[in-house]
Amino acid sequence: MSVGPWVADQLAKARASGVEVEDVSYHPVGFSQNLQEREPYERVVLVGSVERRRAPGTVEAYRWDGELPGRDEIQERVSEAVTGVISLDNTLIVCGALGGLPDEVRVVEVEPEDQGWGDGFSRTIEERLPEVLEAVWSSTRP
Amino acid sequence: MCFKNLPIEFDEQGNARLKEGVANPYSYEVTEVTPIEQDEEKLKELLSRNGHIRRVDFDPVTRVAGALAFHTVVDLENRRVLETDSMATLFRGYEVILKGRDPRDAIFISSRACGVCGGVHSTTSALALEMAFGIHPPPMGIVARNLLLSLEYLYDHPLHLFLLAGPDFSEPAVRETNPELWERAQHATAPSKATHGYGTIAELMTDMTPLTGKLYAEALHMTRVAREAYVLIGGKYPHPQTIVPGGISATIDVSDFNEIHLRIIKFFDYGQKVVAIWNDLVEFFYEANPQYRDVGRRPKRLIEPGQWDDPFAYDGTYENADTWGRARWAPPGVIVDGELVTTKLTQLNIGVEEFVEHSFYEDWTAGNGNGNGHRFETDPLGNPLSPYHPWNKETIPKPSGTNWKEKYSWSTSPRWDRMAMETGAYSRIWANALANDYSHLNHFEPTGDGLKFNVPGSSLPAAEHEWKIPEVWGAFERNRGRAYCILYSALIAYENLLIGLDLMKKGDTTTSVPHEVPKDFRIGAGFWGAGRGYLTHHCVIDDGVIENYQIVTPSTWMASPKDPFGNPGPYEEAVAATPLLENYERPEDFKGIDVLRTIRSFDPCMPCTTHIHTDSRVISREVITCACGVDDDGHEH
Repeated sequence: MSVGPWVADQLAKARASGVEVEDVSYHPVGFSQNLQEREPYERVVLVGSVERRRAPGTVEAYRWDGELPGRDEIQERVSEAVTGVISLDNTLIVCGALGGLPDEVRVVEVEPEDQGWGDGFSRTIEERLPEVLEAVWSSTRP
Repeated sequence: MCFKNLPIEFDEQGNARLKEGVANPYSYEVTEVTPIEQDEEKLKELLSRNGHIRRVDFDPVTRVAGALAFHTVVDLENRRVLETDSMATLFRGYEVILKGRDPRDAIFISSRACGVCGGVHSTTSALALEMAFGIHPPPMGIVARNLLLSLEYLYDHPLHLFLLAGPDFSEPAVRETNPELWERAQHATAPSKATHGYGTIAELMTDMTPLTGKLYAEALHMTRVAREAYVLIGGKYPHPQTIVPGGISATIDVSDFNEIHLRIIKFFDYGQKVVAIWNDLVEFFYEANPQYRDVGRRPKRLIEPGQWDDPFAYDGTYENADTWGRARWAPPGVIVDGELVTTKLTQLNIGVEEFVEHSFYEDWTAGNGNGNGHRFETDPLGNPLSPYHPWNKETIPKPSGTNWKEKYSWSTSPRWDRMAMETGAYSRIWANALANDYSHLNHFEPTGDGLKFNVPGSSLPAAEHEWKIPEVWGAFERNRGRAYCILYSALIAYENLLIGLDLMKKGDTTTSVPHEVPKDFRIGAGFWGAGRGYLTHHCVIDDGVIENYQIVTPSTWMASPKDPFGNPGPYEEAVAATPLLENYERPEDFKGIDVLRTIRSFDPCMPCTTHIHTDSRVISREVITCACGVDDDGHEH
């Protein structure tokens, strides 16, 4: 199971005032296009599981610095996005390059333990999910 | 008689049978391949030419869907490609995943094979299940399916022409690799300015620049237009939620059709503009250097299962496949050296074989206790089937080190009548151009050497366009053909929309039929297409679960490694024929733009799940090493 869509389901149940929750694991370019058609958000918080060679289950929350790679890599990420690859990083880069994101973007990541397919989460991630949810809520507060 | 190589002949009634007196009719002898690097004498001779012989690996090939690596040996002095090897670097695995599952899962799981063409996998899966279950959708369900197909292509073709392949023809690329062409482009009038608005070829190239060019941005916008229409029926894109065996699980009303209509007609103008752009670009390159016709050149050998079923002709049975296949808007066809040798789906089907001599799989026909042998000796009509046919195939992955002489790809080598075939958006219009007794003549007119399109007026006036079968078939013509396919797909969508509205007026709005998963033994096949061509799913079902499931995608055909007869796959063949026209002074300046234009002209899509099961554990991201790590041969790369 993927962390991001699961978190979106959980957060949507909470119905916090002033916070919109959306599963954006559909199409980075589409997400950018959708953002550009809406009233700008003050802040966007993206959450997902990303492998960065940390200890499995590591939860990190940070403010994205908005730095984009060179043109060639941006183009590669757009190509990747339009041919069906969806990741937190390519969502940031594609939306950063094509537009729609506000100045303030926060990210909550969790290091995966097992990237195989199947039902549910690994045990390590299962145990970290409350922490992930709390990190996301914290990131939405002023 | 459509087969030259397979031992199949036809009786007076047109029924196929194996030729008599041929022992082991499907056996073959393997032709040994001798790569340059493994022939010491050849290598010494080549290296003595002062380093102009170079190994150039494109790993990964960028701006393609999925994981593809391409190995070449090039002669930079004589501007020739000496050796080519196409590597699918990741294992797909869906065929293994689907075993033992409820057949209906195949629609949703196979969709995940690809993030561009998930919808067509779902549909092809539904077609295979319909054949196995003995059901077929009502006319409105088929109309809905046809609309989804068109809309998927209207997303796919602009994406390819301006986001994936297009940048190779943009100002930065041309300026860097052939500055003399850029100089020429600045003074070259664009003949079709009245349609596309650009005065010179250079202006066109500038606007094809990635990220900043207006044509690039416009293509991104048009992909959204197509997606918006798609989700009205499909629920979401690229993995629709509404495709089921027997039709579509969504209801469709007039407002859905209106919303779809508003979006389809935008492609009438856009399609004309894109055709004009690519006609001008292609002719510019040809005029500058006629050798551009030879970039990506290969024989006119194409295969096309046909798509867009006639809502009143399709019945889902194998018995009638030749009839309903022929009634499709894009009719089935196999083209050999420019000649249409068959339009019968059953003949297309029985001519297909997959070989694994140079692929990371075991030959299932060898037995070995796991092998299937030759389970189905005939198709449901009694026509002979090869042990290498997808219905007989078992996917037995066997990872190993990469060796150009032995095994080097996760793609199998599909062949028709033991010939390498290509397929693509263009194979649809090519088969259509050659079709006799074509019935969908509202907007199309096959001429025998081309296909005319009558495009209704929108913002641009109504116009007639004609795609002509080219004299020489290569990379530039593939892109040009794909441009015409935007109009082709939009017009077919339009015709289906009108049929749908008529059905609605008559109250015939049912979009699916009920079904149950049979518990007895069944087989089925879905013959359909993806953005880049031929797509089939062959299934074997027993006791309510999938026993075997085989997917042959267009990129399996085209990215295939060499077959047992030593014939290269289409990418390999096309790149081998490509002259190196790039302007370089030193070998280290070589960018390989002509090679890349060739590969990308096929619109590669390498569906690439990396998950495989081995009993109790799941292997994630089993990445076969890049092309530059061929065994441990001590060569510096």
